[in-house]
Amino acid sequence: MDIIERYLEAVAAQLPTDDREDIVAELRDLILSRVEAREEELGRALTDEEKEAILHEIGHPLIVAARYRKGPDSLIGPELFPYWLFGAKAGLTLIAAVQALGLLIHVLGAPADVGRAIGQAFHGFFSGALTLLGALTLAGAVMEHFNIKPTWLTKWRVRDLSAFGLADPAKWGASLAGSEKAKAEWLPKGARVWGVAVNDKPGVEALVSLIVAGVFVMWWIGVISFPGLGAVHLRGGAVGMEPAPVWAALYGPILALAVGGMAVDAITLIRGREGRLGWFLKIPLAGAALWVLWRLFEAGWWFTLTQGDATARVEGGAAQISLQALRAINEAGRDLGGTALTLGTVLTWVFAIMAISFAVNIVGYMWRIATAKAC
Amino acid sequence: MDQALFETMRLELRRGTLVLAVLACLRTERYGYTLRQALAADGLEMEESTLYPLLRRLEGQGLLTSEWREEEKRKKRFYVLSPGGEAMLAALTEEWRGINASLERIL
Repeated sequence: MDIIERYLEAVAAQLPTDDREDIVAELRDLILSRVEAREEELGRALTDEEKEAILHEIGHPLIVAARYRKGPDSLIGPELFPYWLFGAKAGLTLIAAVQALGLLIHVLGAPADVGRAIGQAFHGFFSGALTLLGALTLAGAVMEHFNIKPTWLTKWRVRDLSAFGLADPAKWGASLAGSEKAKAEWLPKGARVWGVAVNDKPGVEALVSLIVAGVFVMWWIGVISFPGLGAVHLRGGAVGMEPAPVWAALYGPILALAVGGMAVDAITLIRGREGRLGWFLKIPLAGAALWVLWRLFEAGWWFTLTQGDATARVEGGAAQISLQALRAINEAGRDLGGTALTLGTVLTWVFAIMAISFAVNIVGYMWRIATAKAC
Repeated sequence: MDQALFETMRLELRRGTLVLAVLACLRTERYGYTLRQALAADGLEMEESTLYPLLRRLEGQGLLTSEWREEEKRKKRFYVLSPGGEAMLAALTEEWRGINASLERIL
């Protein structure tokens, strides 16, 4: 078959049957007209390569055929896309919040089952998120295809818009990332936490961080203990949880890291603002935290679960950062091995997310230092 | 200057004017290939993959009429402005002149 006919056949396959013949006839005329014009210019017949060059100029069959398609060009058009995006962000935040709440209730109600509960929460979030995005896309595509414009798209009132500001997860994200403007927008004005004004952001953050780190350090050095932590009951009796040797090796660095963090928080609290000094000090701290996470990843073995004579290692690594590994959580049993697998995968994800967060923080602090006015 | 950004903005600027140019060119009956040549001769290069679907869309909107006729030993589809197309061209030309005059003052 001639190269031009092969091209036209590829285009025709993508066209609606009603118009196919007509469009292909017109395209054939266009291509032959261009070939003839070129042949006249050169004074000879074109080679297949030269004909192909003309077809390349006309475009890929999928693109050429798409231009003839009736109806919308995109699944979700530019008018509808902001609503789709808002729905996706708000919905994902809501699903995450519901799963987190469910997890909290589950852990408080049945602390023995924490590993499985975390696995279920992850699974619930991912399946809920996929369903939400699929449903939103389907609804949007139907509205786009049939040009449906509900009244909330066209007849909105300013007084109904406040929920949009509150429900914008981007603002929460910006706030968590330390954007002062975002915090000022969504934090309730005049609120106070333990005597410190909430709008005094660095102060509140430093205070909360100091307390949390203080509790952690006291627990880490054995001054306080949390009864029930590590007391897991599975089918077949109580389970013991022994830390892997890597924790002993990292005991000193983790303690130093926590104390260093407390020192920076204390400085921020005393000065009343983070400023360049705070950001400057937080860069090596975040770098050290990354190093600790790297060592944990390198070790790959974090705990050992024991039940009677049976033991199972809680292990993780790069292989666990996959959807397949998350699915495996769901299929893992409630026995010792299944619990170890679940804990290993969850910890891997937690460590990976922490590592990304520290890396982003380092870049963020550097950027702030570079762009901040002298203070 | 960011060349990629310039190219995007240039295409956006041209997009609306191409319809006007095509309608104006089809006051005289032409088929796709000669229409493209006529536009190019006046400095408006247009890709076939844009021009041909545009012609069909304008015909679907009732602004053009078309018929298949044999010329140079091959059947070709000839397009020309419909009465509705002529009215639209007049209205769009007036609009274009208004925009152009405003821009001239601003620029």
